[in-house]
Amino acid sequence: MSDRKLTITYNDRVVRQFMLATVVWGAVGMLVGVLIASQLNFWRLNFNLPWLTFGRLRPLHTNAVIFAFVGNMMFAGVYYSTQRLLKARLASDFLSSLHFWAWQAIIVAAAITLPLGFTRGKEYAELIWPINIAVALIWVVFAINFFWTLAKRNEPSLYVAIWFYIATIITVAMLYIVNHLSIPTSLLHSYPVFGGVQDALVQWWYGHNAVAFFLTTPILGIMYYFLPKAAERPVYSYRLSVIHFWSLVFVYIWAGPHHLLNTALPNWLQALGMTFSLMLWAPSWGGMLNGLLTLRGAWHKLRTDPVLKFYAAAVTFYGMATFEGPLLSIKSVNALAHYSDWIIGHVHAGALGWNGFMAAGMIYWLLPKLWNKPLYSTALANLHFWIGTVGILLYVAAMWTSGITQGLMLNATTEGGTVLAYPNFLDTLNAIRLMMLMRVIGGGLYLTGFLLLAYNVIRTISGAQAVDGRVDVYVDDLKSAERPLGVFGTFLNPPVVFSALGVLFACVWMFGGPALQIVGLFGTAICAILAVAHFATRGTRWAGWYERLLVSAAPFTVLTFVAVAAGGLIQIVPTVVVNKAQNMEERIAKPYTPLELAGRDIYVREGCYNCHSQMIRTMVPDVLRYGDYSRLGESLYDHPYQWGSRRTGPDLARVGGKYNAAWHFVHMADPRNTSPGSNMPNYPWLYNNHTDVAALYGKINVMRALGVPYPPLSAALVTEEVELQAKTIVEELKAAQQLTSSDREIVALIAYLQRLGKYEKVVRSAAVTP
Amino acid sequence: MTPPDSAHKSTLPGEDPLRPHSFDGIQEYDKRLPNWWLLTFYATIVFWIGYWLYMQQSGLSVGDGKKIDEHMARVEAVKLAANAALDDPSLWKMSRNPVFTSAGKATFDTICASCHNVALTGGIGPNLVDATWIHGSKPTDLLKVVNEGVLVKGMPAWGPVLGTKKVSEAIAYVLSHHTPPAELSLSDK
Repeated sequence: MSDRKLTITYNDRVVRQFMLATVVWGAVGMLVGVLIASQLNFWRLNFNLPWLTFGRLRPLHTNAVIFAFVGNMMFAGVYYSTQRLLKARLASDFLSSLHFWAWQAIIVAAAITLPLGFTRGKEYAELIWPINIAVALIWVVFAINFFWTLAKRNEPSLYVAIWFYIATIITVAMLYIVNHLSIPTSLLHSYPVFGGVQDALVQWWYGHNAVAFFLTTPILGIMYYFLPKAAERPVYSYRLSVIHFWSLVFVYIWAGPHHLLNTALPNWLQALGMTFSLMLWAPSWGGMLNGLLTLRGAWHKLRTDPVLKFYAAAVTFYGMATFEGPLLSIKSVNALAHYSDWIIGHVHAGALGWNGFMAAGMIYWLLPKLWNKPLYSTALANLHFWIGTVGILLYVAAMWTSGITQGLMLNATTEGGTVLAYPNFLDTLNAIRLMMLMRVIGGGLYLTGFLLLAYNVIRTISGAQAVDGRVDVYVDDLKSAERPLGVFGTFLNPPVVFSALGVLFACVWMFGGPALQIVGLFGTAICAILAVAHFATRGTRWAGWYERLLVSAAPFTVLTFVAVAAGGLIQIVPTVVVNKAQNMEERIAKPYTPLELAGRDIYVREGCYNCHSQMIRTMVPDVLRYGDYSRLGESLYDHPYQWGSRRTGPDLARVGGKYNAAWHFVHMADPRNTSPGSNMPNYPWLYNNHTDVAALYGKINVMRALGVPYPPLSAALVTEEVELQAKTIVEELKAAQQLTSSDREIVALIAYLQRLGKYEKVVRSAAVTP
Repeated sequence: MTPPDSAHKSTLPGEDPLRPHSFDGIQEYDKRLPNWWLLTFYATIVFWIGYWLYMQQSGLSVGDGKKIDEHMARVEAVKLAANAALDDPSLWKMSRNPVFTSAGKATFDTICASCHNVALTGGIGPNLVDATWIHGSKPTDLLKVVNEGVLVKGMPAWGPVLGTKKVSEAIAYVLSHHTPPAELSLSDK
């Protein structure tokens, strides 16, 4: 050893802060979850209050659990493990503190704005634009803090956990920024720049990969650090880490369109979404295998150690959810499961099982180290584990049963497949009442377990002295046997060249014309054969290159970015830049009238998309139930798109004109007036609130800037049009003995609902060629 | 290189060697990838290639839109056939449904074409694609003519021979060469 010794004290203060925030926001997020699950059973729990209705609280639940609970947990785990894996204190105490406090401020802002109805109307991307900017900025702060630490590291080589953190940071930044591009209409409201199918595609590119790169990759990194630490066993396989890391980050990005199967999304995108989801199965299981097999030789410790129990169960749930995901991405399975509770069960197996249990294991393991005091009660931690496990199983089993039951009922036909077996949607809702109740019980048990953790945390740290970790570094160790890669070495080497050529040829095969297809297919095959042959004969060169890549942080980051960016570019760019006329399928929406636009904004504000889709799939039962299947052109001008992802209530794509205005008027006051057995909340405030007509002029200007063909309208003309259309509706209501005045929100909402499903025919020859 | 800090590491006897480097005390084996895992991965890749070739490039698979259109046409056909009362709108509707018109063409070509020509332009019998109707232009008028015949002019009564289904299909085929009156909106199902 050298004489020169550095003693490094880690910044564990920020780890403690993030960890405690995890406990607080976890409890809040889960509590809101139990509340909204209860609202589905007992509609009175919506309390007739706007800020307590399901449509506004469900985004609060999802955002709280994803960004507040898992977000804080991720930051705690990343900061703790990164410092130790790099043998370096976090680069900046200021940035660390800023990261922590600003993130909490963002969460508080979200928790206030979402119940008040300030939303962008896109799932897991609901936060309004000023908060979006704050999130993006703080993410950049996180990135700077992380990569700066990376630059100052006293450990030349990057451990697999760090690979996953790098992938997380760059990919989330890319996804978040693109999906949140908006044009503000006011300080609190904006319209997304993408509309219709483009918005749908970008949204699920983001939504699916929020699961991938916010809920999966950082947690895999955390697993790679904390699991072998707790098990005191070596990681099972380094080469499995290499293969599953690169295949995971490359393949994951392509799978987004599996959220849009059987919809109006072009078939080639659906085919990509389905096949890449299936190809994701093995890479995901690579992570599970490396987790579970690392426990070899430590299984006996599970009997006594709650931490390992949580990890083993978490990794198992991860394996279960990542098997279920590809299964659900098969188009025919998806036809049954999509829009149903099965999907809710699937995500909760991941969120409660994988994320929640990884968090619990990490917290129980960290507590004694960060406060230098034994855990207050191992027995309570064990109890937490068992209550939580039973809770998850109840929850997930209930949702499987519910989803499959309702899916089968909705898709059932009789009389030779010509008539729906259950034409009344409410029959299918009331068939799953018991399962919805089981979900509340399962979720309640899980929350109880989490509260035990909170209690354990409080008792452990009360009176304890916080301690920061230290490490001695010998300067000799800083030298690596490997030389970092330069630009040339980063790109011109067998693994990268073969991968790039393979992907290139595969794309030529998939998207080329008839002649190019053959070239592409042969090229891909030859590439694969050459790569295998090269690897078989000169495999050590591949391994040697990778060892060098591991001491080259910047090249590693660049290659990771290339791998994650490829899929998105290939899927989204053609859809975004392609001439809009090509997206129309013979039908095109007319721009909403000002009043309809106001109504649409109310629809978005109340979060109707949380229970109602606007997308009739290319499936017989869908068409029989809701009318002709949806075409792309019909939602062309929808900023944001409102295709939805769950049908707790029926699809609304063609509800316009199905009922008269009076039906909607009576229905929104209390849905049980017209639909006995419904669990939809009442919306009494829509009958008192005044429609925000003043904002419409600005909103229409933004819409026009986004390419919606509004004719020139002055502010006065907008007001005039609104009044004219509102008066007609009020008259129609009056004729049916329903009295209201034309300035109320309910009138605007009815105007919008009655408009749904109306379109103009497009003569093909008139479509502009690109 | 850091010496492996093996304070809490114990390799099982007969285990593979560990990688030389350790990270904060974490060591790694370098075990072979499990064969079943690799096979799963390869199988899904092969599936992707096969699926793409079949769905996107073979020409054997029609798009979702076309598929559902055909399926809904069949559903409508069953419904219409079950509908005993054949009125003008339903006959017009049938005339826009390929299930009916293709069946009707088969009937027409074997039975009717001998007098009316496969192109429906007439011969022994009158032209069926021009604007002139001798016995009334409504679909139900045609139905009456075909079912009961116009015996004085040589048109047989086909109803008893062909049955309602085939007759209505043949009429649908004839009507498919004409435009429905404006007040009937058929295009949107």
